Amino acid sequence: MNQIPSAPAKIELGHVTHLYLSTTRAFMAVKDINLRVEEGEFICLVGPSGCGKTTLLSLIAGLEKPTAGKVLIDGHVVSGTSRQVGYMLQQDYLFNWRTIEDNVFLGLDIQGIRSKETEEYALHLLDEMELADVRKSSPMQLSGGMRQRVALVRTLACQPDVLLLDEPFSALDYQTKLKLEDLIFSTLRRHKKTAVLVTHDLSESIAMGDRIYILSRNPGRINSEIVVPPTIRDTLPFDARNQEGFQDLFHRVWKEMEVVSDAAKGT
Amino acid sequence: MQPKELESVHRHYLKEVRKTHTWVFTTQVILFLLFLGLWELLARTNTINTLIFSYPSKVWAQFWTQLLDGSLLPHIGMTVWETIIGFLLGTILGTVLAAIIWWSPFLSRVLEPYLVIANSMPKVALGPVFIVSFGPGLFSVIAMGCAISVIITTINIYTSFKEVNQNYIKVVQTLGGNKRQIFSLVILPATIPTILATLKVNVGLSWVGVIVGEFLVSQQGLGYLIIYGFQVFNFTLVMMSLAIIAVVATLMYQGVAFLERRLTSQFK
Repeated sequence: MNQIPSAPAKIELGHVTHLYLSTTRAFMAVKDINLRVEEGEFICLVGPSGCGKTTLLSLIAGLEKPTAGKVLIDGHVVSGTSRQVGYMLQQDYLFNWRTIEDNVFLGLDIQGIRSKETEEYALHLLDEMELADVRKSSPMQLSGGMRQRVALVRTLACQPDVLLLDEPFSALDYQTKLKLEDLIFSTLRRHKKTAVLVTHDLSESIAMGDRIYILSRNPGRINSEIVVPPTIRDTLPFDARNQEGFQDLFHRVWKEMEVVSDAAKGT
Repeated sequence: MQPKELESVHRHYLKEVRKTHTWVFTTQVILFLLFLGLWELLARTNTINTLIFSYPSKVWAQFWTQLLDGSLLPHIGMTVWETIIGFLLGTILGTVLAAIIWWSPFLSRVLEPYLVIANSMPKVALGPVFIVSFGPGLFSVIAMGCAISVIITTINIYTSFKEVNQNYIKVVQTLGGNKRQIFSLVILPATIPTILATLKVNVGLSWVGVIVGEFLVSQQGLGYLIIYGFQVFNFTLVMMSLAIIAVVATLMYQGVAFLERRLTSQFK
């Protein structure tokens, strides 16, 4: 243990390197990543395709073990998936053979913590997302935005402290996406969750995040870190886009992305 | 467009659809009657050898006589029973085997060439082996009905297990699920449509196995009736058995198809 025991970060990655091995080659997905996320923070990872954003989420989620380096949550080494960490995928992946309600209870079933209380909490979340009246419906009857909201409830029902969001808005139409951004942003703030969002959408990363990490690829590394000023950080994503300074920040992130993409082309 | 017009256009469309349905059905019935009529006619005019081909009215008379004197039902019952058991055994064993090799990627790699060989092997060739190991009777016939479907079931279901979208598995994993939960919560429910489709194929396969089994060894059953009729050169008996097999096998297939529709409606 090399950090101060009194104040471990919520998520900490120390010199994390991860390889994907196949018979033909060893591919370095990410190299020497150092990252610190404090409790309640919302950080965004952006970067060109193949820069290892999803790999980082898998490592934090405990789906994979880093080849080298350490992944810590609350100062403890991550060894496998845990209740503490929730994960949201690009698409909802609701189970069509279960009702909305049963989809939402999935995590409770898996973790063996289904009880009247946890069920009530999940249904309360469903209500918060304005989905109470579809609880007995089948996922097939819902629109894309509704389904993704159900997926969020499914994740939150297990009461994780950390939420990993892997481009959860990318499969939605623009209007739904903006609405859902606001909804998720305020829900996570209200429940004081720590979140890591992977996205391709630069303005989304500025509107939602407290800090933005820009990654380069081959191998995936952290190129730069941008701190979002409080005026933008504390407003809902939709309004944040109209805040003073948003455009300037967008151009900064854009420039950084250009640097990263050019560097990738050079190799 | 007025709602009234809209309704009349729709009514017209429905009428057309019904008309096509009626036509198809009528043609099907006519075709069947034509076949029977032609067969009867050719036999009566001695154009075909009635000793070999028999003819519908004689087959029907044979059916009635045997049905009424009670000598037919035990044969039908026996064959249906053997087919159902063979079919269920084949499906259950195949599914269990598929689950085991899904569970252990190592085992699946080890067993791969054996499955290929077992699948290429014509299972009816194993007849003599079954007879000496299970005795000349019911068990050999069931073994044949099961053997013919078990390997192809294993292969089909295992393939469908592997084709389940990895992201569903990821959902369960990130919620903290173990391998057993991945199987029971995702793999199995997601592949129920495939398993039921396999069931439909297996009904047909089990009929093949059971009839061949009865050809080889049995004192009862529709396969036995065919072989017996052949040996005593009573082709009326043979034709009657064939007709019964056609009807009963179709009923069984429709039963499974009905089950499939009922159970998979929520997947579509």
